[in-house]
Amino acid sequence: MTNPAVAVHGLTKIFHVPFHRQSIVAVKELNLRIEPGEVYGLLGPNGSGKSTTLKIILGLVSPTRGRTEIFGCDSRLVQSREAVGFLPENPYFYKYLSGKETLLFFGRLCGLRGAVLKNRVNELLDLVGLSKARNRRLGTYSKGMLQRIGLAQALIHDPRLVVLDEPTAGVDPAGSRDIRDLILDLKRRGITVLLSSHLLAQAQEICDRVGILADGVLVREGHLQELIAIENQTELVIADASNELIREIESFVKRSNAKLIERRKSTTTLERLFLEATKNDEAGMSKEGRSRNDQRRKRFNA
Amino acid sequence: MTNGENASTLEQLNASTSAKRYRPFAFSRIYAITINTVTELTRLKVFYVLLIFGLVLIGSSIFMAQFSFQQEFQILKDVSLGAISLFTSLLAIVATARLLPQDIEDRTLYTILAKPVPRFEYVLGKITGVLLLLAISTVVMGGAFLLVLYTREQAVLHTTLRQMSGAPPDQIADALRVIRSSAFNIDILPGIVIIYLKACLLAALTLFVSTFATSNIFTIVVMAFIYFIAHLQATAREYWLQEHGSGLITRVFLAVVALFFPDLQAFNLVDDIVAGTAISLTLFAKTALLGIFYTTIYTLLATFVFYGKEL
Repeated sequence: MTNPAVAVHGLTKIFHVPFHRQSIVAVKELNLRIEPGEVYGLLGPNGSGKSTTLKIILGLVSPTRGRTEIFGCDSRLVQSREAVGFLPENPYFYKYLSGKETLLFFGRLCGLRGAVLKNRVNELLDLVGLSKARNRRLGTYSKGMLQRIGLAQALIHDPRLVVLDEPTAGVDPAGSRDIRDLILDLKRRGITVLLSSHLLAQAQEICDRVGILADGVLVREGHLQELIAIENQTELVIADASNELIREIESFVKRSNAKLIERRKSTTTLERLFLEATKNDEAGMSKEGRSRNDQRRKRFNA
Repeated sequence: MTNGENASTLEQLNASTSAKRYRPFAFSRIYAITINTVTELTRLKVFYVLLIFGLVLIGSSIFMAQFSFQQEFQILKDVSLGAISLFTSLLAIVATARLLPQDIEDRTLYTILAKPVPRFEYVLGKITGVLLLLAISTVVMGGAFLLVLYTREQAVLHTTLRQMSGAPPDQIADALRVIRSSAFNIDILPGIVIIYLKACLLAALTLFVSTFATSNIFTIVVMAFIYFIAHLQATAREYWLQEHGSGLITRVFLAVVALFFPDLQAFNLVDDIVAGTAISLTLFAKTALLGIFYTTIYTLLATFVFYGKEL
């Protein structure tokens, strides 16, 4: 039997407020099991305990009760981090380092060096579309670029689990889509992704399973499709249907004792509209970034 | 890049990476953090301000009023060694105070400790970086001081030779020997080493305070108090021993006080150097060991507190 990528057993975290008699329960009796290769979304409003849970899983914060494991290894042990890449919320990194120097630094921390490290850095810069900005200091990077360099450092040592805390916070729709695509690529490669977010539409696009936290308690958990499906309703999306055909379907529905709840024109998403509207207005964007986004949009529209 | 292309790039990446198996202790990780810390600190304006201020003070001591060359060399040594001591101490406190709080505030600490990096390696890398920077500063300021001293010595020698051009050779040789001995003596070098060790001690103590401090301002204020109390510690201890005798409780109490307020006056060998008193090997070794002992203890305490710190 293979070990789960992440296992959380009876996790409770209580923060004691210094010089006050009160304490804050951030996470309460949490149990989770994330299988290898899954994309798991930990959802919840601000202050629901998402970041605390992630920090405990990464060994940055110690639990008050319970334990967490990464691929069967107690996450309080440093060696458990060998298999993990982490991108914190709104990462800053060292502003005086360039993108390339940042990846070299994190690569060295993971035991990489020499030609292997250099190749890895070049390939990752390519992957996240920052090859042209490789020698620019991070102080001059936009938020989206920082997020992408953050993702690259998380992948530097070829982790089996990637933990992303609000990966698209503060990123524009195009950058957000880039990150989404990268997460889907990781999934395709069999890498487990655990992400926390309060952007529900995005989580819906990429997660296999989700858990919803409220006040530190897991209130819902399961496969996304099962959680959001309405059991007794079915949607049909028809293109180029004539009025006669629509009328016929409606009368057939009536004859079958079923109930037509809503009839409406299909709409595009606000995100797709935004991407289309800004497609030709990217004077400041690099050629590299433009062509990558163009390809992604074509794929999306197809 | 399409999804398929991305996936194949990732496959190639993963095949090409050969991350080594985790080792509980790795010099390469400490080295990476050390070099990064030195880079971080050399980008700080305060480093250059302190360094330039120190160099200007050393350089300007040439122009201070003097009656004889002995007095000139005494003032030069007094001002220069005092400047090196003050500025390395200031640099040790100011540079170290910001290291941990800044990394926590910027969340860079999360990304570092989320990698297979033990916390003690992080602390060790940070303190080694500071000690390296202090060594660079001490060498630069010490080098400038010796250069100024040598320049002034040569100027005085030339003037004396010119003035004594008609004097007998024995008299000239005697005069030159007196000038040389009052300008440079070998005790200056151990004196500079002790100044460096005092700065190392202060850096380690600042790191320890910063592990439980809430901001770098708090750390600097606490360190300013410790700095002044630690300079008065020896006098207070003598007074206390006179008043209360030297029973076990008194000695334990004084040991605890000495742990948090190290006797910084013991590191002040500048007066002896200026007065031309020879620094014995025993005194040098004893003071150097005291500095190394305190630096080690504070680094261990910092590591201990940092291990239990919730991030």
